[in-house]
Amino acid sequence: MLEVAEVSYRYGEVEGLSGVTVTLDRPQLVALVGPNGSGKSTLLKLVARVLAPASGEVRFEGKRLRDWDGKEYAKRVGYLPQDPDPTFPMRAIDVVVSGRAPFLGRFERESDADYEAAAKAMELCDALHLADRYLDEMSGGERKRIFLARVLAATPAVILLDEPLAALDLSHVQQFSLLLRDVVDRTHCTVVYATHDLNWAAAYCDRMLVMQRGTLAIDAPPAEVMRPDTIRELFGFDAAAVEAGGRSWLVPRVP
Amino acid sequence: MRLWISGSAGSKLLPLHRRPHNRLGLILLALILLGAIALAASIGATSLSWRALIAGDATTRTIFFDIRLPRTILAALIGAALAVAGVTFQTLLRNPLADPFILGVSGGAASGAAIATAFGLARRVPGIVPPMAFLGACAATGAVFLLARRREYTDPTRLLLSGLVLNAFFSAVILICFALSPQGDLTAALKWMMGTLFAAQWSDVVLLLVLLIVTMAVLVSIANDLRLFAFGEEDAKSRGVAVERVKIIGFITASIVTGAAVAVSGIIGFVGLLVPHLVRMIWRRDFRDLLPLSALAGGTLVVLADLLSRIVIQPSELPIGAFTAVLGVPFFLMLLRRSR
Repeated sequence: MLEVAEVSYRYGEVEGLSGVTVTLDRPQLVALVGPNGSGKSTLLKLVARVLAPASGEVRFEGKRLRDWDGKEYAKRVGYLPQDPDPTFPMRAIDVVVSGRAPFLGRFERESDADYEAAAKAMELCDALHLADRYLDEMSGGERKRIFLARVLAATPAVILLDEPLAALDLSHVQQFSLLLRDVVDRTHCTVVYATHDLNWAAAYCDRMLVMQRGTLAIDAPPAEVMRPDTIRELFGFDAAAVEAGGRSWLVPRVP
Repeated sequence: MRLWISGSAGSKLLPLHRRPHNRLGLILLALILLGAIALAASIGATSLSWRALIAGDATTRTIFFDIRLPRTILAALIGAALAVAGVTFQTLLRNPLADPFILGVSGGAASGAAIATAFGLARRVPGIVPPMAFLGACAATGAVFLLARRREYTDPTRLLLSGLVLNAFFSAVILICFALSPQGDLTAALKWMMGTLFAAQWSDVVLLLVLLIVTMAVLVSIANDLRLFAFGEEDAKSRGVAVERVKIIGFITASIVTGAAVAVSGIIGFVGLLVPHLVRMIWRRDFRDLLPLSALAGGTLVVLADLLSRIVIQPSELPIGAFTAVLGVPFFLMLLRRSR
Protein backbone atom coordinates (compact mmCIF):
# COMPACT_ATOMS: atom_id res chain seq x y z
CA MET A 1 0.00 0.00 0.00
CA LEU A 2 2.52 2.61 1.14
CA GLU A 3 6.26 2.22 0.74
CA VAL A 4 8.91 4.59 1.97
CA ALA A 5 12.19 3.59 0.32
CA GLU A 6 15.59 4.98 1.36
CA VAL A 7 14.12 8.42 1.89
CA SER A 8 16.30 11.35 2.98
CA TYR A 9 15.51 14.97 3.59
CA ARG A 10 17.64 18.00 4.44
CA TYR A 11 16.70 21.30 6.09
CA GLY A 12 19.38 23.42 4.44
CA GLU A 13 22.60 22.10 5.94
CA VAL A 14 20.88 20.05 8.61
CA GLU A 15 20.09 16.42 7.97
CA GLY A 16 16.40 15.88 8.73
CA LEU A 17 16.02 12.29 7.68
CA SER A 18 18.48 9.83 6.20
CA GLY A 19 17.76 6.59 4.41
CA VAL A 20 14.44 5.69 6.03
CA THR A 21 12.69 2.60 4.70
CA VAL A 22 9.31 1.44 5.97
CA THR A 23 6.23 -0.25 4.54
CA LEU A 24 2.60 0.08 5.62
CA ASP A 25 0.55 -2.71 4.10
CA ARG A 26 -2.48 -3.39 6.29
CA PRO A 27 -4.91 -1.74 8.69
CA GLN A 28 -2.83 -1.04 11.78
CA LEU A 29 -2.43 1.48 14.54
CA VAL A 30 1.18 2.56 14.25
CA ALA A 31 2.85 4.72 16.89
CA LEU A 32 5.74 6.85 15.67
CA VAL A 33 7.97 7.60 18.62
CA GLY A 34 11.41 9.02 19.26
CA PRO A 35 13.13 11.95 20.98
CA ASN A 36 12.48 15.54 19.89
CA GLY A 37 14.15 16.30 16.56
CA SER A 38 14.52 12.65 15.62
CA GLY A 39 12.56 13.11 12.37
CA LYS A 40 9.01 12.03 13.26
CA SER A 41 7.34 15.15 11.83
CA THR A 42 9.59 15.15 8.79
CA LEU A 43 8.68 11.56 7.97
CA LEU A 44 4.96 12.30 8.29
CA LYS A 45 5.29 15.42 6.11
CA LEU A 46 7.11 13.47 3.42
CA VAL A 47 4.37 10.87 3.33
CA ALA A 48 1.69 13.60 3.42
CA ARG A 49 3.26 15.23 0.35
CA VAL A 50 3.91 18.41 2.29
CA LEU A 51 7.66 17.97 1.72
CA ALA A 52 9.40 16.28 -1.18
CA PRO A 53 12.30 13.91 -0.40
CA ALA A 54 15.86 14.96 -1.29
CA SER A 55 16.55 11.37 -2.28
CA GLY A 56 14.74 8.07 -2.16
CA GLU A 57 11.09 7.58 -2.95
CA VAL A 58 7.69 7.28 -1.40
CA ARG A 59 5.19 5.15 -3.30
CA PHE A 60 1.50 4.76 -2.66
CA GLU A 61 -0.39 1.93 -4.38
CA GLY A 62 2.71 1.39 -6.50
CA LYS A 63 2.78 4.96 -7.81
CA ARG A 64 5.40 7.55 -6.84
CA LEU A 65 4.03 10.42 -4.79
CA ARG A 66 5.03 13.09 -7.28
CA ASP A 67 3.08 11.24 -9.97
CA TRP A 68 -0.09 11.39 -7.89
CA ASP A 69 -2.58 14.18 -8.47
CA GLY A 70 -2.66 16.21 -5.24
CA LYS A 71 -6.41 15.97 -4.65
CA GLU A 72 -6.61 12.29 -5.60
CA TYR A 73 -3.83 11.53 -3.12
CA ALA A 74 -5.54 13.65 -0.44
CA LYS A 75 -8.67 11.49 -0.77
CA ARG A 76 -6.58 8.46 0.23
CA VAL A 77 -4.02 9.80 2.65
CA GLY A 78 -5.12 12.26 5.33
CA TYR A 79 -2.76 14.40 7.41
CA LEU A 80 -3.23 16.36 10.62
CA PRO A 81 -0.45 18.87 11.30
CA GLN A 82 0.56 19.81 14.82
CA ASP A 83 -1.13 23.19 14.93
CA PRO A 84 -4.07 23.39 12.55
CA ASP A 85 -6.20 25.95 14.44
CA PRO A 86 -8.04 28.19 12.00
CA THR A 87 -7.20 31.90 11.91
CA PHE A 88 -10.76 33.00 12.62
CA PRO A 89 -13.50 31.37 14.72
CA MET A 90 -15.23 28.52 12.87
CA ARG A 91 -18.10 26.19 13.69
CA ALA A 92 -17.08 22.58 14.28
CA ILE A 93 -19.24 21.25 11.45
CA ASP A 94 -17.68 23.75 9.02
CA VAL A 95 -14.20 22.64 10.11
CA VAL A 96 -15.07 18.97 9.64
CA VAL A 97 -16.81 19.42 6.29
CA SER A 98 -13.78 21.33 5.00
CA GLY A 99 -12.05 17.94 5.16
CA ARG A 100 -14.10 17.10 2.06
CA ALA A 101 -12.21 19.71 0.03
CA PRO A 102 -10.36 17.18 -2.18
CA PHE A 103 -13.73 15.96 -3.47
CA LEU A 104 -14.95 19.38 -4.59
CA GLY A 105 -14.63 20.86 -8.06
CA ARG A 106 -13.17 24.32 -8.52
CA PHE A 107 -16.47 26.17 -8.10
CA GLU A 108 -18.34 23.47 -6.20
CA ARG A 109 -19.86 23.72 -2.72
CA GLU A 110 -20.22 20.89 -0.23
CA SER A 111 -23.26 18.74 -1.04
CA ASP A 112 -25.60 16.82 1.28
CA ALA A 113 -23.34 13.80 0.79
CA ASP A 114 -20.36 15.80 2.04
CA TYR A 115 -22.27 16.87 5.16
CA GLU A 116 -23.36 13.27 5.65
CA ALA A 117 -19.73 12.13 5.55
CA ALA A 118 -18.77 14.90 7.96
CA ALA A 119 -21.56 13.94 10.38
CA LYS A 120 -20.54 10.27 10.24
CA ALA A 121 -16.93 11.18 10.97
CA MET A 122 -18.03 13.32 13.91
CA GLU A 123 -20.19 10.52 15.22
CA LEU A 124 -17.25 8.14 15.02
CA CYS A 125 -15.26 10.61 17.13
CA ASP A 126 -18.18 11.13 19.52
CA ALA A 127 -18.23 14.80 18.55
CA LEU A 128 -21.55 15.14 16.75
CA HIS A 129 -23.06 17.05 19.67
CA LEU A 130 -20.36 19.70 19.15
CA ALA A 131 -21.43 20.42 15.55
CA ASP A 132 -22.81 23.90 16.25
CA ARG A 133 -20.15 24.98 18.70
CA TYR A 134 -17.31 27.28 17.77
CA LEU A 135 -13.82 25.87 17.89
CA ASP A 136 -12.42 28.65 20.08
CA GLU A 137 -15.05 27.86 22.73
CA MET A 138 -13.98 24.22 23.07
CA SER A 139 -11.53 22.42 25.30
CA GLY A 140 -8.30 21.06 23.86
CA GLY A 141 -9.65 17.50 23.92
CA GLU A 142 -12.82 18.46 22.06
CA ARG A 143 -10.83 20.36 19.44
CA LYS A 144 -8.59 17.35 18.84
CA ARG A 145 -11.63 15.18 18.20
CA ILE A 146 -12.99 17.74 15.73
CA PHE A 147 -9.71 17.75 13.85
CA LEU A 148 -9.57 13.95 13.78
CA ALA A 149 -13.13 13.97 12.41
CA ARG A 150 -12.00 16.47 9.76
CA VAL A 151 -9.35 14.02 8.57
CA LEU A 152 -11.79 11.09 8.73
CA ALA A 153 -14.41 13.00 6.71
CA ALA A 154 -12.35 12.35 3.58
CA THR A 155 -12.53 8.57 4.33
CA PRO A 156 -8.81 8.03 3.73
CA ALA A 157 -7.05 4.66 3.75
CA VAL A 158 -4.05 6.06 5.61
CA ILE A 159 -4.19 8.70 8.35
CA LEU A 160 -1.10 10.57 9.54
CA LEU A 161 -1.34 12.49 12.81
CA ASP A 162 1.46 14.71 14.06
CA GLU A 163 1.45 14.61 17.88
CA PRO A 164 -2.33 14.57 18.35
CA LEU A 165 -1.90 13.97 22.09
CA ALA A 166 0.25 17.05 22.72
CA ALA A 167 -1.19 19.33 25.41
CA LEU A 168 -3.89 16.86 26.47
CA ASP A 169 -4.38 15.94 30.12
CA LEU A 170 -3.97 12.37 31.45
CA SER A 171 -7.52 11.24 30.92
CA HIS A 172 -7.82 12.80 27.46
CA VAL A 173 -4.58 11.15 26.40
CA GLN A 174 -6.07 7.80 27.25
CA GLN A 175 -9.43 8.57 25.67
CA PHE A 176 -7.83 9.80 22.47
CA SER A 177 -5.45 6.83 22.27
CA LEU A 178 -8.42 4.55 22.64
CA LEU A 179 -10.33 6.50 20.03
CA LEU A 180 -7.48 5.93 17.55
CA ARG A 181 -7.64 2.19 18.29
CA ASP A 182 -11.38 2.32 17.66
CA VAL A 183 -10.99 4.21 14.39
CA VAL A 184 -8.61 1.54 13.09
CA ASP A 185 -10.87 -1.31 14.19
CA ARG A 186 -14.04 0.21 12.80
CA THR A 187 -12.90 1.86 9.56
CA HIS A 188 -10.02 -0.53 8.70
CA CYS A 189 -7.68 2.29 7.84
CA THR A 190 -4.06 2.60 8.85
CA VAL A 191 -3.33 5.27 11.43
CA VAL A 192 0.22 6.49 12.01
CA TYR A 193 0.58 8.94 14.87
CA ALA A 194 3.60 10.63 16.32
CA THR A 195 3.57 10.63 20.10
CA HIS A 196 5.74 10.95 23.19
CA ASP A 197 3.39 8.88 25.30
CA LEU A 198 5.07 5.49 25.14
CA ASN A 199 2.89 3.72 27.68
CA TRP A 200 -0.43 4.52 26.06
CA ALA A 201 1.02 3.95 22.61
CA ALA A 202 2.22 0.51 23.73
CA ALA A 203 -1.13 -0.25 25.30
CA TYR A 204 -3.14 0.24 22.12
CA CYS A 205 -0.92 0.18 19.02
CA ASP A 206 -0.04 -2.78 16.82
CA ARG A 207 3.35 -1.57 15.84
CA MET A 208 5.93 0.96 16.91
CA LEU A 209 8.34 2.89 14.74
CA VAL A 210 11.16 4.38 16.78
CA MET A 211 13.09 7.24 15.20
CA GLN A 212 16.57 8.22 16.28
CA ARG A 213 18.62 11.07 14.79
CA GLY A 214 16.84 10.98 11.43
CA THR A 215 16.90 7.22 11.00
CA LEU A 216 14.42 4.47 11.76
CA ALA A 217 15.99 2.66 14.70
CA ILE A 218 13.30 0.06 15.44
CA ASP A 219 10.22 -1.20 13.63
CA ALA A 220 8.63 -3.76 15.94
CA PRO A 221 5.58 -4.72 18.03
CA PRO A 222 5.34 -2.60 21.21
CA ALA A 223 6.37 -5.46 23.52
CA GLU A 224 9.82 -5.50 21.92
CA VAL A 225 10.28 -1.75 22.27
CA MET A 226 9.04 -1.39 25.82
CA ARG A 227 12.10 -2.80 27.56
CA PRO A 228 14.08 -0.72 30.02
CA ASP A 229 17.37 -1.35 28.23
CA THR A 230 15.96 -0.40 24.82
CA ILE A 231 14.38 2.76 26.20
CA ARG A 232 17.61 3.75 27.92
CA GLU A 233 19.53 3.27 24.71
CA LEU A 234 17.06 5.13 22.46
CA PHE A 235 15.83 7.93 24.70
CA GLY A 236 18.60 8.14 27.27
CA PHE A 237 15.86 7.62 29.85
CA ASP A 238 16.38 5.47 32.91
CA ALA A 239 13.22 3.38 33.25
CA ALA A 240 11.94 0.39 35.15
CA ALA A 241 9.20 -1.99 34.01
CA VAL A 242 6.22 -2.39 36.32
CA GLU A 243 3.52 -5.01 35.93
CA ALA A 244 -0.04 -3.74 36.33
CA GLY A 245 -3.39 -4.76 34.86
CA GLY A 246 -1.81 -7.60 32.94
CA ARG A 247 0.65 -5.46 31.03
CA SER A 248 4.03 -3.94 31.49
CA TRP A 249 4.39 -0.17 32.04
CA LEU A 250 7.54 1.86 31.97
CA VAL A 251 8.08 4.19 34.89
CA PRO A 252 11.05 6.44 35.64
CA ARG A 253 13.67 5.05 37.98
CA VAL A 254 14.17 7.70 40.63
CA PRO A 255 17.75 7.86 41.92
CA MET B 1 -13.56 -1.70 26.51
CA ARG B 2 -15.35 1.32 25.14
CA LEU B 3 -14.86 4.27 27.42
CA TRP B 4 -16.80 7.04 25.79
CA ILE B 5 -17.73 6.01 22.29
CA SER B 6 -21.46 5.58 22.59
CA GLY B 7 -24.21 4.86 20.09
CA SER B 8 -24.00 2.65 17.05
CA ALA B 9 -22.89 3.72 13.59
CA GLY B 10 -26.46 3.65 12.35
CA SER B 11 -27.86 5.99 14.98
CA LYS B 12 -29.65 9.09 13.84
CA LEU B 13 -27.61 11.98 12.55
CA LEU B 14 -28.33 15.40 13.91
CA PRO B 15 -30.19 17.71 11.56
CA LEU B 16 -27.51 18.71 9.10
CA HIS B 17 -26.07 22.18 9.28
CA ARG B 18 -25.55 23.01 5.66
CA ARG B 19 -24.27 26.36 4.61
CA PRO B 20 -25.01 26.98 0.96
CA HIS B 21 -24.17 30.29 -0.72
CA ASN B 22 -25.18 33.18 1.47
CA ARG B 23 -27.76 34.56 -0.99
CA LEU B 24 -29.72 36.42 1.66
CA GLY B 25 -26.64 38.29 2.86
CA LEU B 26 -25.62 39.14 -0.70
CA ILE B 27 -29.08 40.46 -1.62
CA LEU B 28 -29.29 42.44 1.61
CA LEU B 29 -25.88 44.06 1.15
CA ALA B 30 -26.54 44.74 -2.54
CA LEU B 31 -29.77 46.56 -1.67
CA ILE B 32 -28.01 48.58 1.03
CA LEU B 33 -25.26 49.49 -1.44
CA LEU B 34 -27.81 50.61 -4.06
CA GLY B 35 -29.61 52.65 -1.43
CA ALA B 36 -26.35 54.27 -0.35
CA ILE B 37 -25.47 55.11 -3.95
CA ALA B 38 -28.90 56.65 -4.55
CA LEU B 39 -28.66 58.64 -1.33
CA ALA B 40 -25.12 59.86 -1.99
CA ALA B 41 -25.93 60.83 -5.57
CA SER B 42 -28.90 62.93 -4.52
CA ILE B 43 -27.25 64.85 -1.66
CA GLY B 44 -24.56 67.48 -2.08
CA ALA B 45 -23.66 71.14 -2.24
CA THR B 46 -26.47 71.65 -4.75
CA SER B 47 -29.65 69.90 -3.76
CA LEU B 48 -31.14 67.87 -6.55
CA SER B 49 -34.68 66.64 -6.79
CA TRP B 50 -35.46 63.26 -8.27
CA ARG B 51 -38.50 64.84 -9.94
CA ALA B 52 -36.35 67.37 -11.84
CA LEU B 53 -34.00 64.59 -12.85
CA ILE B 54 -36.79 62.45 -14.23
CA ALA B 55 -38.36 65.50 -15.92
CA GLY B 56 -35.05 65.93 -17.77
CA ASP B 57 -33.84 69.26 -16.36
CA ALA B 58 -30.48 69.96 -18.10
CA THR B 59 -28.54 71.33 -15.10
CA THR B 60 -29.82 68.62 -12.83
CA ARG B 61 -28.89 65.98 -15.36
CA THR B 62 -25.38 67.37 -15.77
CA ILE B 63 -24.72 67.50 -12.04
CA PHE B 64 -26.20 64.05 -11.53
CA PHE B 65 -24.74 62.15 -14.47
CA ASP B 66 -21.40 63.92 -14.96
CA ILE B 67 -20.43 64.71 -11.39
CA ARG B 68 -22.35 62.92 -8.66
CA LEU B 69 -22.98 59.53 -10.23
CA PRO B 70 -19.43 58.81 -11.49
CA ARG B 71 -18.05 59.96 -8.16
CA THR B 72 -20.43 57.81 -6.14
CA ILE B 73 -19.97 54.73 -8.28
CA LEU B 74 -16.22 55.21 -8.22
CA ALA B 75 -16.40 55.39 -4.42
CA ALA B 76 -18.30 52.09 -4.40
CA LEU B 77 -15.74 50.45 -6.69
CA ILE B 78 -12.79 51.70 -4.62
CA GLY B 79 -14.39 50.43 -1.45
CA ALA B 80 -15.07 47.07 -3.06
CA ALA B 81 -11.51 46.85 -4.41
CA LEU B 82 -9.90 47.66 -1.06
CA ALA B 83 -12.16 45.29 0.87
CA VAL B 84 -11.53 42.48 -1.61
CA ALA B 85 -7.77 43.06 -1.33
CA GLY B 86 -8.07 43.14 2.48
CA VAL B 87 -9.99 39.89 2.82
CA THR B 88 -7.59 38.19 0.39
CA PHE B 89 -4.48 39.33 2.28
CA GLN B 90 -5.98 38.35 5.62
CA THR B 91 -6.80 34.88 4.33
CA LEU B 92 -3.49 34.36 2.55
CA LEU B 93 -1.35 35.53 5.43
CA ARG B 94 -3.54 34.06 8.20
CA ASN B 95 -3.24 37.43 9.84
CA PRO B 96 -6.23 39.51 10.96
CA LEU B 97 -4.13 42.68 10.75
CA ALA B 98 -3.04 42.20 7.13
CA ASP B 99 -4.23 44.85 4.73
CA PRO B 100 -2.98 46.40 1.48
CA PHE B 101 -1.63 49.42 3.33
CA ILE B 102 0.31 47.48 5.93
CA LEU B 103 1.98 45.48 3.15
CA GLY B 104 3.39 48.67 1.62
CA VAL B 105 1.31 48.64 -1.55
CA SER B 106 -0.24 52.02 -0.88
CA GLY B 107 3.11 53.45 0.25
CA GLY B 108 4.55 52.45 -3.11
CA ALA B 109 1.66 54.12 -4.88
CA ALA B 110 2.09 57.31 -2.85
CA SER B 111 5.82 57.32 -3.64
CA GLY B 112 5.05 57.07 -7.34
CA ALA B 113 2.72 60.03 -7.05
CA ALA B 114 5.23 62.01 -4.97
CA ILE B 115 8.03 61.43 -7.48
CA ALA B 116 5.79 62.61 -10.31
CA THR B 117 5.05 65.75 -8.33
CA ALA B 118 8.56 66.53 -7.12
CA PHE B 119 10.15 66.64 -10.53
CA GLY B 120 7.44 68.77 -12.09
CA LEU B 121 6.15 65.87 -14.18
CA ALA B 122 2.67 66.34 -12.77
CA ARG B 123 2.48 69.90 -14.17
CA ARG B 124 3.93 69.12 -17.58
CA VAL B 125 2.04 65.89 -18.22
CA PRO B 126 -1.53 66.14 -16.94
CA GLY B 127 -2.93 62.87 -15.69
CA ILE B 128 0.49 61.36 -14.99
CA VAL B 129 -0.13 60.89 -11.25
CA PRO B 130 -2.48 57.86 -11.40
CA PRO B 131 -0.26 55.79 -13.74
CA MET B 132 2.81 56.68 -11.66
CA ALA B 133 0.96 55.65 -8.51
CA PHE B 134 -0.04 52.38 -10.16
CA LEU B 135 3.59 51.74 -11.15
CA GLY B 136 4.65 52.48 -7.59
CA ALA B 137 2.11 50.01 -6.24
CA CYS B 138 3.32 47.29 -8.61
CA ALA B 139 6.97 47.99 -7.71
CA ALA B 140 6.14 47.78 -4.01
CA THR B 141 4.29 44.50 -4.54
CA GLY B 142 7.24 43.02 -6.40
CA ALA B 143 9.72 44.23 -3.79
CA VAL B 144 7.77 43.03 -0.77
CA PHE B 145 7.23 39.65 -2.37
CA LEU B 146 10.89 39.18 -3.35
CA LEU B 147 12.03 40.20 0.12
CA ALA B 148 9.69 37.70 1.76
CA ARG B 149 10.64 34.83 -0.48
CA ARG B 150 13.04 32.18 0.77
CA ARG B 151 13.93 29.43 -1.63
CA GLU B 152 10.54 28.14 -2.83
CA TYR B 153 8.62 29.36 0.16
CA THR B 154 6.99 32.69 0.99
CA ASP B 155 6.93 33.33 4.70
CA PRO B 156 3.86 35.29 5.90
CA THR B 157 5.72 36.85 8.82
CA ARG B 158 8.54 38.01 6.57
CA LEU B 159 5.92 39.37 4.19
CA LEU B 160 4.42 41.56 6.91
CA LEU B 161 7.85 42.65 8.17
CA SER B 162 8.98 43.47 4.64
CA GLY B 163 5.86 45.60 4.22
CA LEU B 164 6.62 47.41 7.44
CA VAL B 165 10.20 48.16 6.43
CA LEU B 166 9.20 49.20 2.90
CA ASN B 167 6.60 51.56 4.34
CA ALA B 168 9.34 53.28 6.34
CA PHE B 169 11.41 53.56 3.16
CA PHE B 170 8.47 54.97 1.19
CA SER B 171 7.83 57.56 3.90
CA ALA B 172 11.41 58.75 3.45
CA VAL B 173 11.00 58.90 -0.33
CA ILE B 174 7.82 60.93 0.04
CA LEU B 175 9.41 63.36 2.50
CA ILE B 176 12.41 63.90 0.21
CA CYS B 177 10.13 64.47 -2.77
CA PHE B 178 8.09 66.98 -0.85
CA ALA B 179 11.19 68.82 0.29
CA LEU B 180 12.17 69.18 -3.37
CA SER B 181 8.69 70.16 -4.58
CA PRO B 182 7.53 73.67 -5.48
CA GLN B 183 4.89 74.97 -3.09
CA GLY B 184 1.90 74.76 -5.46
CA ASP B 185 2.60 71.18 -6.47
CA LEU B 186 2.96 70.25 -2.84
CA THR B 187 -0.64 71.12 -2.00
CA ALA B 188 -1.95 69.08 -4.90
CA ALA B 189 0.17 66.08 -3.92
CA LEU B 190 -0.85 66.32 -0.29
CA LYS B 191 -4.51 66.43 -1.30
CA TRP B 192 -4.05 63.34 -3.42
CA MET B 193 -2.31 61.51 -0.61
CA MET B 194 -5.14 62.14 1.80
CA GLY B 195 -7.53 60.58 -0.64
CA THR B 196 -10.03 62.44 -2.76
CA LEU B 197 -12.71 61.58 -5.26
CA PHE B 198 -13.10 65.21 -6.31
CA ALA B 199 -12.34 64.82 -10.02
CA ALA B 200 -13.95 61.42 -10.60
CA GLN B 201 -14.61 60.59 -14.23
CA TRP B 202 -16.47 57.88 -16.06
CA SER B 203 -13.17 56.71 -17.58
CA ASP B 204 -11.89 55.96 -14.05
CA VAL B 205 -15.10 54.10 -13.32
CA VAL B 206 -14.75 51.91 -16.40
CA LEU B 207 -11.07 51.17 -15.70
CA LEU B 208 -11.67 50.16 -12.11
CA LEU B 209 -14.83 48.23 -12.91
CA VAL B 210 -13.04 46.09 -15.49
CA LEU B 211 -10.13 45.45 -13.12
CA LEU B 212 -12.44 44.59 -10.27
CA ILE B 213 -14.42 42.12 -12.38
CA VAL B 214 -11.22 40.39 -13.51
CA THR B 215 -9.91 40.31 -9.93
CA MET B 216 -13.13 38.84 -8.58
CA ALA B 217 -13.19 36.19 -11.32
CA VAL B 218 -9.61 35.15 -10.54
CA LEU B 219 -10.21 35.09 -6.79
CA VAL B 220 -13.46 33.15 -7.09
CA SER B 221 -11.63 30.56 -9.19
CA ILE B 222 -9.07 29.97 -6.40
CA ALA B 223 -11.50 30.49 -3.49
CA ASN B 224 -11.99 26.78 -2.78
CA ASP B 225 -8.22 26.45 -2.32
CA LEU B 226 -7.61 29.79 -0.66
CA ARG B 227 -10.11 29.19 2.16
CA LEU B 228 -8.08 26.14 3.24
CA PHE B 229 -5.21 28.48 4.12
CA ALA B 230 -7.16 29.12 7.34
CA PHE B 231 -5.75 25.85 8.69
CA GLY B 232 -2.18 26.62 7.71
CA GLU B 233 -0.19 26.11 4.56
CA GLU B 234 1.00 22.59 5.41
CA ASP B 235 -2.55 21.45 5.98
CA ALA B 236 -3.64 23.00 2.68
CA LYS B 237 -0.71 21.37 0.89
CA SER B 238 -1.59 17.94 2.27
CA ARG B 239 -5.07 18.43 0.84
CA GLY B 240 -3.74 18.80 -2.68
CA VAL B 241 -3.66 22.61 -2.84
CA ALA B 242 -0.86 24.07 -4.98
CA VAL B 243 -0.02 26.43 -2.12
CA GLU B 244 2.73 28.52 -3.73
CA ARG B 245 0.79 29.03 -6.95
CA VAL B 246 -2.39 30.06 -5.12
CA LYS B 247 -0.38 32.39 -2.92
CA ILE B 248 1.27 34.16 -5.84
CA ILE B 249 -1.97 34.48 -7.81
CA GLY B 250 -3.87 35.81 -4.80
CA PHE B 251 -1.16 38.22 -3.76
CA ILE B 252 -0.64 39.67 -7.23
CA THR B 253 -4.33 40.12 -8.11
CA ALA B 254 -5.07 41.73 -4.74
CA SER B 255 -2.09 44.07 -5.15
CA ILE B 256 -3.04 45.11 -8.67
CA VAL B 257 -6.59 45.98 -7.69
CA THR B 258 -5.26 47.94 -4.70
CA GLY B 259 -2.82 49.78 -6.93
CA ALA B 260 -5.63 50.75 -9.29
CA ALA B 261 -7.86 51.91 -6.44
CA VAL B 262 -5.08 53.97 -4.86
CA ALA B 263 -4.12 55.42 -8.25
CA VAL B 264 -7.58 56.89 -8.89
CA SER B 265 -8.43 57.94 -5.36
CA GLY B 266 -5.29 58.47 -3.30
CA ILE B 267 -4.92 56.79 0.04
CA ILE B 268 -8.18 55.71 1.68
CA GLY B 269 -7.09 53.72 4.69
CA PHE B 270 -8.68 51.12 6.94
CA VAL B 271 -11.32 49.92 4.46
CA GLY B 272 -9.33 46.80 3.61
CA LEU B 273 -8.76 46.11 7.28
CA LEU B 274 -12.18 46.89 8.74
CA VAL B 275 -14.68 45.62 6.21
CA PRO B 276 -13.70 41.93 6.26
CA HIS B 277 -13.82 41.99 10.08
CA LEU B 278 -17.26 43.61 10.09
CA VAL B 279 -18.60 41.07 7.63
CA ARG B 280 -17.03 38.24 9.60
CA MET B 281 -18.61 39.50 12.84
CA ILE B 282 -22.05 39.31 11.22
CA TRP B 283 -21.80 36.12 9.19
CA ARG B 284 -18.71 34.12 10.31
CA ARG B 285 -18.27 32.51 6.91
CA ASP B 286 -15.16 31.32 5.11
CA PHE B 287 -13.36 33.13 2.29
CA ARG B 288 -15.77 31.95 -0.40
CA ASP B 289 -18.63 33.93 1.13
CA LEU B 290 -16.56 36.70 2.67
CA LEU B 291 -15.20 37.74 -0.74
CA PRO B 292 -18.45 38.97 -2.36
CA LEU B 293 -19.90 40.13 0.98
CA SER B 294 -16.80 42.22 1.67
CA ALA B 295 -16.93 43.74 -1.81
CA LEU B 296 -20.50 44.95 -1.28
CA ALA B 297 -19.91 46.13 2.30
CA GLY B 298 -16.68 47.92 1.32
CA GLY B 299 -18.49 49.71 -1.50
CA THR B 300 -21.20 50.85 0.89
CA LEU B 301 -18.70 52.07 3.48
CA VAL B 302 -16.72 54.22 1.05
CA VAL B 303 -19.87 55.63 -0.61
CA LEU B 304 -21.15 56.73 2.81
CA ALA B 305 -17.72 58.01 3.90
CA ASP B 306 -17.48 60.05 0.71
CA LEU B 307 -20.97 61.44 1.24
CA LEU B 308 -20.11 62.49 4.80
CA SER B 309 -16.79 63.99 3.72
CA ARG B 310 -18.69 66.15 1.22
CA ILE B 311 -21.48 67.38 3.47
CA VAL B 312 -19.94 67.75 6.93
CA ILE B 313 -18.31 71.13 6.30
CA GLN B 314 -20.18 72.32 3.21
CA PRO B 315 -19.31 73.79 0.81
CA SER B 316 -15.75 72.61 1.51
CA GLU B 317 -14.68 68.97 1.60
CA LEU B 318 -12.84 66.85 4.12
CA PRO B 319 -10.23 64.43 2.76
CA ILE B 320 -11.98 61.05 2.64
CA GLY B 321 -8.82 59.17 3.64
CA ALA B 322 -8.54 61.17 6.87
CA PHE B 323 -12.23 60.58 7.39
CA THR B 324 -12.09 56.78 7.10
CA ALA B 325 -9.05 56.75 9.39
CA VAL B 326 -10.80 58.85 12.06
CA LEU B 327 -13.78 56.49 11.91
CA GLY B 328 -11.69 53.37 11.49
CA VAL B 329 -9.05 53.66 14.19
CA PRO B 330 -11.37 53.64 17.25
CA PHE B 331 -13.39 50.86 15.74
CA PHE B 332 -10.28 48.85 15.06
CA LEU B 333 -8.99 49.36 18.60
CA MET B 334 -12.32 48.17 19.94
CA LEU B 335 -12.05 45.09 17.73
CA LEU B 336 -8.53 44.45 18.96
CA ARG B 337 -9.59 44.63 22.61
CA ARG B 338 -12.51 42.30 22.08
CA SER B 339 -10.54 39.68 20.17
CA ARG B 340 -8.72 37.01 22.07
